[in-house]
Amino acid sequence: MTTPESAETPASGASDGTILLVEDSPDDVMLTQRALRKNNIRNTVVVASDGEQALEYLLPRDGKPLVPELILLDINLPKVNGLDVLRAIRANERTRYVAVVVLTTSSEERDIVSSYDLGANSYVRKPVEFDNFLEAVRVLGLYWLLVNQNPAGIRTAVR
Amino acid sequence: MSSSAPGSADPAPCPEPDISDEHSWQEPHRPAAARPAPSWAMLGLAAATAAVAGVLAVVVGAATGRPVLAGLVAVAADSLVLLVYGGAAVRAGRAQLRERAAAELDAEASHNQLQKLIDNTAAVIYMKRIDSGRYLLVNREWERLFKVGRQQAINLTDRGVFPRELADQLRENDLWTAEQGRTVQFEETAETEHGSRTYVSVKFPVLDSSGEPYAVCGISTDITEWKQAEAEARRLAAELETRVRNRTAELEASNKELDAFAYTVSHDLRAPLRSLHGFSQALQDDYTDRLDDSGREYLRRLQANVARMGHMIDDLLNLSRSTRVELVRRDVDLGALADEVAEELAAADTGRQVTVVVQDGLHAHADPQLLRLLLHNLMSNAWKFTGRTGHPVVEVGRCERAGHTLFVVRDNGAGFDMRYADKLFTAFQRLHPAAEFEGTGIGLAIVARIVHRHGGRIFAEAAPDQGASFYFSLEGQMSERPEQTARPVLAGVQ
Repeated sequence: MTTPESAETPASGASDGTILLVEDSPDDVMLTQRALRKNNIRNTVVVASDGEQALEYLLPRDGKPLVPELILLDINLPKVNGLDVLRAIRANERTRYVAVVVLTTSSEERDIVSSYDLGANSYVRKPVEFDNFLEAVRVLGLYWLLVNQNPAGIRTAVR
Repeated sequence: MSSSAPGSADPAPCPEPDISDEHSWQEPHRPAAARPAPSWAMLGLAAATAAVAGVLAVVVGAATGRPVLAGLVAVAADSLVLLVYGGAAVRAGRAQLRERAAAELDAEASHNQLQKLIDNTAAVIYMKRIDSGRYLLVNREWERLFKVGRQQAINLTDRGVFPRELADQLRENDLWTAEQGRTVQFEETAETEHGSRTYVSVKFPVLDSSGEPYAVCGISTDITEWKQAEAEARRLAAELETRVRNRTAELEASNKELDAFAYTVSHDLRAPLRSLHGFSQALQDDYTDRLDDSGREYLRRLQANVARMGHMIDDLLNLSRSTRVELVRRDVDLGALADEVAEELAAADTGRQVTVVVQDGLHAHADPQLLRLLLHNLMSNAWKFTGRTGHPVVEVGRCERAGHTLFVVRDNGAGFDMRYADKLFTAFQRLHPAAEFEGTGIGLAIVARIVHRHGGRIFAEAAPDQGASFYFSLEGQMSERPEQTARPVLAGVQ
């Protein structure tokens, strides 16, 4: 697990604007980080390169769940796939409301349907052309990090 | 060796012989009728005559004083009278005997006729006593099949003819028939010199004069061939069903493979393209000052090709999808769909002014998603091929051809030579050089597949530089999907 933009890792599970990027392709990690940077999205990015790492970060066995501001989740992942990660996130009381955007290359109907079935907030297909991808990331960041009222801050009250 | 459970006589296929209560066959060993005796009246008359003669003789004897003589005369007279009477009685008896003989002759003739009748049929006919199970009558076919003459057969039971198990089963059927008091149908199997044969046996009780059943008569028809044909038909049907099931499974498996392949294409082939495009963009952005015009041009070409390949992958996916997805027909406002597609095309190509004319009231009964994909491909073609036309016009409408309603997408663009029309709907066949009009060569293959899945047809009319018209229907004789299983219907035996 790497946090290339910032060495800090949220300590207590409080949401501090961290973006969890769950992505197994190093190229895609680089391109996504580049796209975020190009769009001036300066939030801390934590990378999990497979589903297992994502779950270890989100739901540590011996600690409180860490709740990022936004999760960018690929579906095709080694070990535990993205849909199972999503299922686990929604099954845990503390992480169930975190914003999850499925960001994947697949446009297969079953992936889209399964994602929404499991409670994905959004489903975005990564475009091949980088300028289109840049635009998608810009809109995503704008909406989920700024426009949208995130439930992370009220999760204690909800519980 | 087996025998089916007794069934009612109702089953239609076998005509029920009309024998319910009629005694077609009388018991052959009927006790002989009592010998006809002289009537009491005649006997009385003879006795009276003898008495009168006796009395007369006694009177005569008394009168003559010679009683012994009188006695003798009386006896003689009596004897004479009795003798005369006896003669008359014998004559009467003879007449009756003659009548009886004639009657017996008739009965015999009738018996012979019946015997002939039952001997000259392919059915096996027999009658057995209920109490002892002994045969009373068999026909020639029975004798032939079981190699037992009728003289021997009489007094034999089934156990004397058939193996014990079968004999007991036959006996059981006979007793059941007697108990039911009506015609009952069985399926029976017997070993003959021709091997195991299956019969449908119609059995009915035969009643004596008091109305009590004393015998069971059976008529057995060989249905072995029919059974074999039926078994064969069943076997073939089962085999066909198995084959259909296997084929369906194979198809499903290959569909799954196709599905997996499409998924791989969708996911794994696009990912490297994204990297290619992304990092070449990064080069352009971050190192633009270290690249000269040629270097930037190479990068641009690289990106253009990556984008093109991305579109091809998308089109291939759509082609695969247009085959794989389940077709769900609804009433679709085709005109509204065409308007939406036109808006999309205009939004993606803001630099051009294309007049799009969509006829009012276009409705179809089709799968909305597939229809949209179809329209998108046809209209984007029209859009593309009018790129060098002065006043580009794309029309979507409806027309009648030979009594069929067809939809049409028409443009006034580059058109094509009809000589190559047969290549139009095949994937990767292009009629224009890529330099003139970009394209993947898959669009019309998608269109054709969607039309065919709807059971419709598609054709084009065009001429170079005079535009093209694509006509299609969405309904026809063809089924949308092959039937999954064809269940043959077989008439049951029982």
